[in-house]
Amino acid sequence: MPSLYAVKTLPSQEYFASGHRACPGCGEALAVRQVQKILGRNVIVASATGCMEIVSSPFPLSSWEVPWIHVAFENAAAVAAGIEKGLEILQRKGKIKKQKITVLAMAGDGGTADIGLQALSGALERRHNILFICYDNEAYMNTGVQRSSSTPFGASTTTSPAGTHQAGQLTPKKNMPAIAVAHGIPYVATASASYPLDLAAKVRKAAATRGPAYLHILSVCPSGWGIPGDATIKLGRLAVQSGVFPLYEVQNGKYKITVPVQELLPVQAYFQPQRRFRHLHPETIEQISQDIREKWQELKKRSDKTN
Amino acid sequence: MITLWIDDKQYEAAEGRTILQVALDNGIQIPHLCYHENLSSFGGCRLCQVEVTRDNKTVLTTSCTYPAMDGIIVRTDTPKVKKARRFVMELLLSLAPDAPKIQDLAQEMGIVATRFTPAGDNCIRCGLCVRACDELVGAHAITFAHRGAQRMVEPPFAEEAENCIGCGTCVQICPTGFISMEEQGMERKIGKWKRTLKMKACAKCGRPFISFAEIAFIMDKVKNPPPADWFDYCSDCR
Repeated sequence: MPSLYAVKTLPSQEYFASGHRACPGCGEALAVRQVQKILGRNVIVASATGCMEIVSSPFPLSSWEVPWIHVAFENAAAVAAGIEKGLEILQRKGKIKKQKITVLAMAGDGGTADIGLQALSGALERRHNILFICYDNEAYMNTGVQRSSSTPFGASTTTSPAGTHQAGQLTPKKNMPAIAVAHGIPYVATASASYPLDLAAKVRKAAATRGPAYLHILSVCPSGWGIPGDATIKLGRLAVQSGVFPLYEVQNGKYKITVPVQELLPVQAYFQPQRRFRHLHPETIEQISQDIREKWQELKKRSDKTN
Repeated sequence: MITLWIDDKQYEAAEGRTILQVALDNGIQIPHLCYHENLSSFGGCRLCQVEVTRDNKTVLTTSCTYPAMDGIIVRTDTPKVKKARRFVMELLLSLAPDAPKIQDLAQEMGIVATRFTPAGDNCIRCGLCVRACDELVGAHAITFAHRGAQRMVEPPFAEEAENCIGCGTCVQICPTGFISMEEQGMERKIGKWKRTLKMKACAKCGRPFISFAEIAFIMDKVKNPPPADWFDYCSDCR
């Protein structure tokens, strides 16, 4: 999508109320707000344990203006699947009016890629008509920045600290969208709160999909990544422009890059402002940069092939 | 506050709202295409029709243009309403048979094929682009022309839309994909409005990101204009 200045066409009604307890500059809260805006009122949310559950629902308060269920860490997808089937049966029996209700399961990267993976895989495989959104802040931020399988290579966290023995995370980031694509589901996409129109289009598409849809949203985390709170949007854009987190969608197996980048920015531009990458040697960064470029070329090839 | 009945349930609403707005606020789904909450009501697509009873008279009317009044009774799923909506949906489907949004809506209502010959140009005359250009952008670049079956969205006198600033709001809001925009090097082309705009390149990354016409428009429109070099850099490099 070319750069547009047409944000006023987004809905103005809010369903994720302000006053929650997210850190200043939280990219995840921003993404949640944008997603709920698009999904509107007829939605039931099953939310796994994680940052968003903690900050949005300290008893007896709640930021949610739509039905919202907090479930255990591992079973957001399973609960959403149950809700979807329950709604289907109630509508068939005439107990509730026939209408379109979006069932949304949301989880962080821990609740998706580590702990919730088997429930998610089951729900995708059974072809439940749900929308699963992973808000990926690349570590367990709410308990104090422990590494997850979604933490990128080289990032320093409290359980993969940078020191004399190791330089941060030793394993590359798990490619969750590819795992979702491998299930053969109709819609998979990556999005970022820094590109609101792109995010809105993807959420609309995903909600309209019959069958499971998976959205992977990069949520910049100022506290965990070690950046100032006012740099959230910028970091989100840098992640896309440097090819670290390309924005694409996969519709029925067809790849399409939705935010084309003419020339990738050097990955240093993305690493430099972040505390979690500051220990990296230039050689390591060069290695990461090459890896990113290869992955970008591969994605581009896939996208070109189907278009 | 006023009270009205929608489908045997009582609802409270602020004055000045339309029936469609009250219904959507309360989670009652009424299909609609030409309604947008940031734009004035138009009543163009006729999909949101409901039956309204007021003073013992019942009429079939569009809920997006009917104001919510005290004591009215609204029914959204009577056989008459359903029949009217299905008919409208078939007409829309014949106008834009390939648009995914129209197809999805039709499928939701259980319509597979239309009985009319597909004769449309993919535009359903919902007027969203015209209203967005007038009310959101304020450029007044396009308008409806002709009447009846010949009605269509056009730039004035079917010539180049000289007021068009190439912001892309019409492309963004169009439900059928009738309006499209092409980026060719340093030019942005909106074929439907016969408009080609010179784009400004970012001083840092060199990517064309905004048209010169739009910069001039923004500088002219805003009360406190941004600094003169604000548009030298794109939103990524700024």
